[in-house]
Amino acid sequence: MTRLPRSARRAAGMTLAIRGLLASAALLGLASCSGGAIGQNTPGGNQPNFVGGSYSSTYYPPGSRPAAPRVSGTTLTGARFSLAAQRGSLVVLNFWGSWCAPCRREAPDLAALASYFKAAPVTFIGDNVRDSPASALAFERTFGIGYPSINDPGEQVALAFHGAVPPAAIPTTLLIDRTGHIAGRVVGEASYRGLRAMIAKVLAGQS
Amino acid sequence: MTQDLAGRKASSGEAGSAGVAGDGAGAETAADAAPPADLASRRFGAAGWLRWIWRQLTSMRTALVLLFLLALASIPGSVLPQQGIDPAAVSQYYAAHPALAPFLAKLSGFDVFGAPWFAAIYLLLFTSLAGCVLPRAYRLARSSRQPPPRAPRHLGKLPLAAGFQTSGAPDEALAAAAGLLRRRRFRIRAGDDWVSAEKGYLHEVGNLLFHVALLGLLVSVALGGLFGYKANKLLVEGETVANTPVGLDAFHPGRLVSASDLQPFSITLRKFTARYIASGAQRGQPSWFGASIRYNSRYGGPQRGYDLRVNHPLSVDGVQVFLIGHGYAPVFKVTDARGVVQFDQAVPFIPLEQSGLTSAGVVKVPDARPRQLGFAGVFLPTEIVVGGRLVSAFPAPDYPRVSLVSYAGNLGLDSGQPQSVYSLDTSRMRQLAVSPRPLAPGQSIVLPDGLGKLTFTGYRQWASLAITYDPGQLPALVSALTALAGLVLSFLVRRRRIFVRAGPAAGAAHAGPARGDADVAADPRPTAVELGGLTRSDAAGGFETEFAELASAIMQEVRGGAAAAGQSGGEVAAAGAKGE
Repeated sequence: MTRLPRSARRAAGMTLAIRGLLASAALLGLASCSGGAIGQNTPGGNQPNFVGGSYSSTYYPPGSRPAAPRVSGTTLTGARFSLAAQRGSLVVLNFWGSWCAPCRREAPDLAALASYFKAAPVTFIGDNVRDSPASALAFERTFGIGYPSINDPGEQVALAFHGAVPPAAIPTTLLIDRTGHIAGRVVGEASYRGLRAMIAKVLAGQS
Repeated sequence: MTQDLAGRKASSGEAGSAGVAGDGAGAETAADAAPPADLASRRFGAAGWLRWIWRQLTSMRTALVLLFLLALASIPGSVLPQQGIDPAAVSQYYAAHPALAPFLAKLSGFDVFGAPWFAAIYLLLFTSLAGCVLPRAYRLARSSRQPPPRAPRHLGKLPLAAGFQTSGAPDEALAAAAGLLRRRRFRIRAGDDWVSAEKGYLHEVGNLLFHVALLGLLVSVALGGLFGYKANKLLVEGETVANTPVGLDAFHPGRLVSASDLQPFSITLRKFTARYIASGAQRGQPSWFGASIRYNSRYGGPQRGYDLRVNHPLSVDGVQVFLIGHGYAPVFKVTDARGVVQFDQAVPFIPLEQSGLTSAGVVKVPDARPRQLGFAGVFLPTEIVVGGRLVSAFPAPDYPRVSLVSYAGNLGLDSGQPQSVYSLDTSRMRQLAVSPRPLAPGQSIVLPDGLGKLTFTGYRQWASLAITYDPGQLPALVSALTALAGLVLSFLVRRRRIFVRAGPAAGAAHAGPARGDADVAADPRPTAVELGGLTRSDAAGGFETEFAELASAIMQEVRGGAAAAGQSGGEVAAAGAKGE
């Protein structure tokens, strides 16, 4: 006959536990806010997208390649560019910004790869995000980038890839095969050797 | 017979509540609690152990310990820089503590809230709470369907008791009482010489609702944590952001969110407007903010306009976009010695204070020639000089000025190490001998040694947006409201029981007729009706009155029925169905 108090105690305890849970949830919220002083109202850093160490490289074998979206845009120098018009050649699409440190680090490699594959059916195209044309063109002068870039300050090209293989960070490099399908993705700083090997693999696989 | 209701309170509330506890939840707990040792030895040991572990896990004490652990475990999350919040700070930490950082990284020190041990604590806590709430909800559900218990033998021992005599037969008296109680929406159970009635099952329903809603709340929170995301974006007038990880500034995805799960909308900030109180004590306080935006819900989709204001968020594809801040972005143009443009864009400066919106920022020109250039300084919307110091007197751009310190050298960007756009690492740069005198729009700093020229060409405003997607939000709200309603219900409604016993009165116990009540006096064998009342909660406030009122109503009903039966017969029997 002394059981009600016990279950009542249990109920009261539960309420306490819930209250505690809510309190600790609030604590969690606080904790996650205090990381960066200006991180909450404003971007804590312009490169939260690229996190050192989150490099990943994915190769899609023929048959499991998602179709690339039909994107087009205006290049930094004012020319039109359409991805669909590149059918028949392998497209290396690099998302970059002049402010982005890993992009600056990989830029010489990309420039070298573009000249390495000059004779092959490979088209290099950049997609310049969150940048201004003046700064982007200065970047291209600095690193001797010979291929064009789409002027895409509002990330619309990246958005178009939403359903297929979305670029998860800046920089991201996508390989699009001759038939307009995505054959590879490198998230983070691409290396000369790694990217060259992947381009060669895709070229070999489709010929 | 004037012998009237002898209502009295037999025992204290405590004894009363202990007395009622014999059914439902209490009995279940007792059955659970008794035989664990037996089970372990008699049946196979594993089941016994599992049972024991489960009971430990779902105990109050464990839940509290886990809760404490959860709070404790979140401390490193606020002490150490977190990868998901400020990767640049993590990189800096690596540089500052090269020996310690990899060790901490192994322990998930830079991703505390995603760490396996953190998840373990959370999941255990979740299980513990669910394991406590679910069986309890089950017991409550059962107890809300239970019929009232049998009437105790001696109603006089109950906390509330009353009695009276009537001339009718015991059966008729019971039937009349049951009829009245049923009309008052009591649940009835009848025996040979007793009737039990119980009311206030809504108390149990409320309790049940509360517990189920609690669980719903937990599930909703988990839902939000798994499938929701939060992001921030600072958007300068004229700029567009796409809802992709590439476009967002700070992106905190839920555990099961990938880049392709983000709703593919885009937002363009057309114009930001802020009005400020121009005079009086509140001078400088903002009176109105608004951001005129255009948005579309997919790549190339039709554009729509919207006015984003404080507490007037944009809702697109279930995602809420809030206006949470604003500031100025001075526009700078940097040219080299030959006049080639190296940099031309708006640079968001971050407000240091609100009364004058003095804002700080840095300009990095990594492609300047022959040296990389960096500038750090302040933007003053309404510049005045107070005691030789530059301050901003008003948040509106009435007299906008920029004051910058110039540096040349290596910005550190080319090493590939991500850094914040709001901080300038001057360790490999030298300060240039240029006066940081304030620049008006259109004015320039000409740098020495042929390093080029910076022009402050104008300014734009920026708005910062909070983008939140929480699929658990609506379920959480519904759960919270349900929990509240259930709690209120269980507080307001008490379960109360009325017992009625009727039997032949012990003749000698009663005095003769005092007021010449003919019917009663005429009856040779008056019936004694006993009433008992009980409420399940300790706080019995109000039940005494209700009981007294009920008892008097029952007495009238029974006596009235007896009187009617004496005259026209049979009517009460027809009206008062006798239960079973």
